[in-house]
Amino acid sequence: MTAIVPDTLQGALILSVIDFFLSFIIISGIGFVLALFPLLNRLHATLPTAAVAPKGGAGDKAARPGATSLPPAPVADDIAAIAAAVLVAMDGAPHRILQIDPSQRSAGWVSEGRVAHHASHAPKNT
Amino acid sequence: MADQILIFLQALLDQTGAAHFSFGNLIMIVIGALMIYLAIAKHYEPLLLVGIGFSCIVANVPGPPDDVPGGQAISALLYAVKDGGLFHYAYMGVEKLIIPPLIFLGVGAMTDFGPMIANPRLVILGAGAHLGIFVALILAKLLGFTLSEAGAIGIIGGADGPMAIFVAVKLAPHLLGPISVAAYSYMALMPMIQPPVMRLLTTKAERQISMAQVRKVSKLEKIAFPLVMAIIVNLFFPPVAPLITMLMLGNLLKEVGVTDRLSKTAAGGLMNVIIIILTVAIGSTMAADKFLTVQTLEIVVLGLLAFLFGTASGVVTAKLMNLFMRTKINPLIGSAGIASVPIAARVSHIVAHQENPNNFLIYHAMGPNLAGVFGTAISGGILLALLGVT
Repeated sequence: MTAIVPDTLQGALILSVIDFFLSFIIISGIGFVLALFPLLNRLHATLPTAAVAPKGGAGDKAARPGATSLPPAPVADDIAAIAAAVLVAMDGAPHRILQIDPSQRSAGWVSEGRVAHHASHAPKNT
Repeated sequence: MADQILIFLQALLDQTGAAHFSFGNLIMIVIGALMIYLAIAKHYEPLLLVGIGFSCIVANVPGPPDDVPGGQAISALLYAVKDGGLFHYAYMGVEKLIIPPLIFLGVGAMTDFGPMIANPRLVILGAGAHLGIFVALILAKLLGFTLSEAGAIGIIGGADGPMAIFVAVKLAPHLLGPISVAAYSYMALMPMIQPPVMRLLTTKAERQISMAQVRKVSKLEKIAFPLVMAIIVNLFFPPVAPLITMLMLGNLLKEVGVTDRLSKTAAGGLMNVIIIILTVAIGSTMAADKFLTVQTLEIVVLGLLAFLFGTASGVVTAKLMNLFMRTKINPLIGSAGIASVPIAARVSHIVAHQENPNNFLIYHAMGPNLAGVFGTAISGGILLALLGVT
């Protein structure tokens, strides 16, 4: 393959102009493709999940007419933030704390390690 | 008697490297020491600068002359670079384009492309911040380099080490040493190079612009991204496809969630081994007799200009975008489009944070920063295609 551009100063200028502006066009094209990515989520949401979900699972619920999907369960940090906000809002108002539980973070860490250790070489049933 | 002692001492001295020590060696040792100082004291990319600085110092300590039994005219490190030595094969890894794709594999396994997917408008900055490539290319041509050499020098402005090596090997393999040294050194020194240009081209009010939180990117999108990009790059940019394909493979290993062992190896152990090999291979090319030449100094200066113009064009592109956008972006993220992940994004964040301690730009700057990797690949791909390299 031979060079398309001559080895001169004019060639360097032409090469630079073509390359710079073509880069803009191509990267804009990539930007356009990325702008379409949210459609993947919509497509995924419309897939018939009941067909692949096990019986009695979440897919079963979603397949029922009129069923509404539940919001995801709050994580520990969310609960702490919500609790703090509620406490601030109730400042001075009569309220009663029923129960306070530890976060069990250390237990979770240990059990995660245990699961990873036991599952690392386990044969997979497919 | 005294004469004989002096003759013996002279003979002894001749058998050491001290007799061959030059002023150039001293300059390069100071440069190597400066790199290590910046890495330790200023935390400027220590993973790169410690290895490059150390091997630069050792490469400039001459060994005994060739006629001494078991001796050689070069340092112990360069002896290891000679045929059959450890770093000979390390350097071959760079020269034969084995190491650059492996670096991209590790980078892909470490990188979250979420910021780029979440805000596609900002990917334009990945092209805008590459004016420096072409400024350096034209200036190199004016200085008398061939067009292929000028292209290889220009790609330093892409601020992407593996891509600079890749393009240099394809276009001007004889310039690989100075080009890789310039590319990696300037990437590490970006916290010094970029801020003055960024401040010069922006007002205080612009630097204080806060940007709204972007949408959350789903796992499905993150898995689709490497697949789509690998197809696009292989389809349209075959000359640079090996690098981007490996980048995308590394990212896929990270995102699928079922190959943790592979992604951890690519991003951890494998990457660390490659960094050690790469930095020593690059630093060992910095011997004074080869490095302190007019041609090398020209390349070093052109590389610096490429970084300065790239930074400036990124900021200006962001300002131009603000003319057409309802929600303004902070122009400081424009300079991150130069690539050099994640150093340039970190610089954008730090400069904005200094102006407004409540402003956290890092996530926003990562979008253009990651787009810059593709921008450099696209520029390099077009360059190689137009210069007839496959």
